[in-house]
Amino acid sequence: MTVPLLEVEGLSGAFRSPGGEMTPVLFDVGFALQPGVITAIVGETGSGKSLTALSILGIQPPNFQRSSGRILFEGRDLLALPAEEIRAIRGRRISMVFQDARAALNPVFTVGRQLADVHRLHHGGSAAAAMCRAIEALRSVAIPEPERRARQYPHEFSGGMAQRAMIAMAALVCAPRLVILDEPTTGLDVTIQAAIMELIAELVAERGLTACLITHDLGVVAETCANVVVMQSGRVVEAASTEAIFTRPRHAYTQRLLAASLLEDSAEPVPA
Amino acid sequence: MKRAPFSWSMRIGLGILAVYAAVALLALVWTPHDPLSPGVGDSYLAPSAEFPLGTDRLGSDVLSRLMAGTQYNLGIALVAVSIALAVGSLLGVIAGYYGGPLDIAISRGVEVFQAFPGVLFAMLVAKAVGPGVINIILVLSFVGIPDYVRLARAEVQSRRNWPYAEAARMVGNRSWQVAFRHLLPNSTGPLLAFTSINAAFVSLVTASLGFLGLGLSPNTPEWGNMIARGQDGVMTGEWWVSFFPGLAILGMTGAFYLLGDALSDLTDPRRRR
Amino acid sequence: MTSAAPYIVLRAEKLTKAYPVGRGRRLLALDGVDLEVAAGETLALVGESGSGKSTLARCALRLVEPSGGEVWINGRPVRPLGAMALAALYREVQMVFQDPNASLNPRMTVRQVVHEPLRLHLSMPAEKRERRAQTLMDMVGLTAAHLDRYPHELSGGQRQRVGIARALAAEPNLLILDEPTASLDVSVRGQILELLRRLQVELGLAYLFISHDLQVVRHMADRVAVMYLGGIVESGPTREIFERPLHPYTRALLSAAPVARFGAKRQRLRLAGEIPSPIDPPDACRLVGRCPLQQESCASRRPPLLNVGAGRTLACPVALA
Repeated sequence: MTVPLLEVEGLSGAFRSPGGEMTPVLFDVGFALQPGVITAIVGETGSGKSLTALSILGIQPPNFQRSSGRILFEGRDLLALPAEEIRAIRGRRISMVFQDARAALNPVFTVGRQLADVHRLHHGGSAAAAMCRAIEALRSVAIPEPERRARQYPHEFSGGMAQRAMIAMAALVCAPRLVILDEPTTGLDVTIQAAIMELIAELVAERGLTACLITHDLGVVAETCANVVVMQSGRVVEAASTEAIFTRPRHAYTQRLLAASLLEDSAEPVPA
Repeated sequence: MKRAPFSWSMRIGLGILAVYAAVALLALVWTPHDPLSPGVGDSYLAPSAEFPLGTDRLGSDVLSRLMAGTQYNLGIALVAVSIALAVGSLLGVIAGYYGGPLDIAISRGVEVFQAFPGVLFAMLVAKAVGPGVINIILVLSFVGIPDYVRLARAEVQSRRNWPYAEAARMVGNRSWQVAFRHLLPNSTGPLLAFTSINAAFVSLVTASLGFLGLGLSPNTPEWGNMIARGQDGVMTGEWWVSFFPGLAILGMTGAFYLLGDALSDLTDPRRRR
Repeated sequence: MTSAAPYIVLRAEKLTKAYPVGRGRRLLALDGVDLEVAAGETLALVGESGSGKSTLARCALRLVEPSGGEVWINGRPVRPLGAMALAALYREVQMVFQDPNASLNPRMTVRQVVHEPLRLHLSMPAEKRERRAQTLMDMVGLTAAHLDRYPHELSGGQRQRVGIARALAAEPNLLILDEPTASLDVSVRGQILELLRRLQVELGLAYLFISHDLQVVRHMADRVAVMYLGGIVESGPTREIFERPLHPYTRALLSAAPVARFGAKRQRLRLAGEIPSPIDPPDACRLVGRCPLQQESCASRRPPLLNVGAGRTLACPVALA
């Protein structure tokens, strides 16, 4: 058993309403991310999967209040670190890819400029050298004509291309240990989605990255991920290897989710 | 979705307007003195127990005139914005929903109209048509209409291809029903917020016209008229004749602004919370 | 499935929609599509964004005015209809929308939503409407208590049930389902699909089922038509298409679809690049430049959709050869 790159332990928390009432949303969430592979956090709306992922980066919504828990990354508790140390880790050690890449990129700067800026922020160097690295990164994520593409603005990119650029930024330019991918292919067409997932799997395998894939789609998980964490209503209901989850699901919810994903008739209609 | 609680600006705005409305109603049946007759006291009496806000040059009671003026200033503002809201949204919805030549005709008309500054236009027309409550109301509502048209048009245009507009057609609504029964009611928030801001503008312009002698006949106890009547006194120390109507205008304008601001907060999801 | 002369509920012929995009250029959203939906069957329209499947549905109902071609609904041509007759036609064909959140007027209660078609299409008196509304709630698995709710007080699945109840209110014989489960969680998706299947059997409905979710299509459809860039490239019985896809685009699409099964090895057929611009497309196969099977003849003219037997059509002479 290798040492996990990141461990979430006993994470609990609640949303505070404007009136001050607390609505618990995370209950003793715990899991580990093994280095060098993709771990999926799977769940439906309201499962708390995104909230958990955002907590790792310390960018959870302001009305979320943690009541307990630790997030250990390279031996340090991220939740106990001072704000400036978190900022240093964010981006450089842990980076994130969001669902809507075109919205996550700044519309007034060219894509190349944005990648170059991030490169200089983390690694310094001249603007020209950074731009070279940016173009190199775009090439690595199979964006055709990277020199020309680097001079374009985000709106000139298709959804799939923008997500590739985003992955270039988060996984290559930032050169982190851990990439968190929050529904990176949701809203993309199936052929594009398959290509993006292939790209992610390739990057992880070739560069020794560790990735955490937040998704609602078990289909995406089956082919690319090594481990799966299943969440339901703020709780981790099952965590195991992908093979175990798909071939020997133990928790009733996992079984139901799997059956529903395959549209098998065994999918018991859940009472409304 | 919980209803956002009434914000402070909304409460204050509504509270002040309620006071104005109460005063206007009260003035229908009772004022301390006759607001229209001169010489109920000597001219330029300082505020006292009998004349709490003093008297003006002609010896009329400032408080009584102020109370009676509330009917004019509040009434004109409310009626003028109501007309502008009704006509403007009607035209705006037609332009936004039907598009094509109707839209072009309405939108071009609005643009031509908006080439003139609103206040200047109001002054010119007021001068041309002469004094009178009806004239002032028509002029002021006319000046407001283009903004309502543009707002209603934009609202409806952004929603006309929404699934619920399509769904409304599918269940048998005629196009005007889709526009007025489904789309317009979903635009009331921004329209009402603007109406309130517009009411602040209208009350200011009403008073300005009065002050410049372009509004109601000089003896009408409208606040702008009252300020004009008191402006000599400002130089010689009889400040109260102009001061109190000025304060009344400020209060009403401010209240409408507060209300409008609160309403746009309430209807704009990005500004909520 | 095929009897001697099936009753055709919806027929489209050479249906075209072009949007002018300035400087005399046209965006061809729908490029001469032929289509038939028989009574009681489910035809699925499959395709990615920009394939024109949604435009096709909207043009068939004239929610979007087509620029060419003709549509018949229950044998009646749709395009010559005036506004009154068109509104009346919607008694026979209804639509269920993708996002139940956006297709329900936020200011109307479920009762108002369901009563509206009864009042406008069927001119039912209030008392009868209320009884019918309760029956409809029953049919879609909701209760009379839901009638007093506003859309935001319902879950996503419940909202979609309301959307279905509204569509069924005037007793149409054709439902156009525009990605009805795309915005729902998987567990809710199964329930809605189950409901749709049951209703189809009970009410003898025909479905035009628009979806990008191949899993759902395989589960629901009798026949499948695959669309790419404004045209149908392949169609046929669902099983045939899924087990023996012929058109390279269909093959690429099917092989890209994720399956929630461990070790489900798939042989990916990859298309180069991304979907090209639909503005003034040349007279060539739309897949030119992306297709692994491409030959010279592909670029010289657009291959027609040909009948290839067993109820299948195909627009690729290369794949057939």
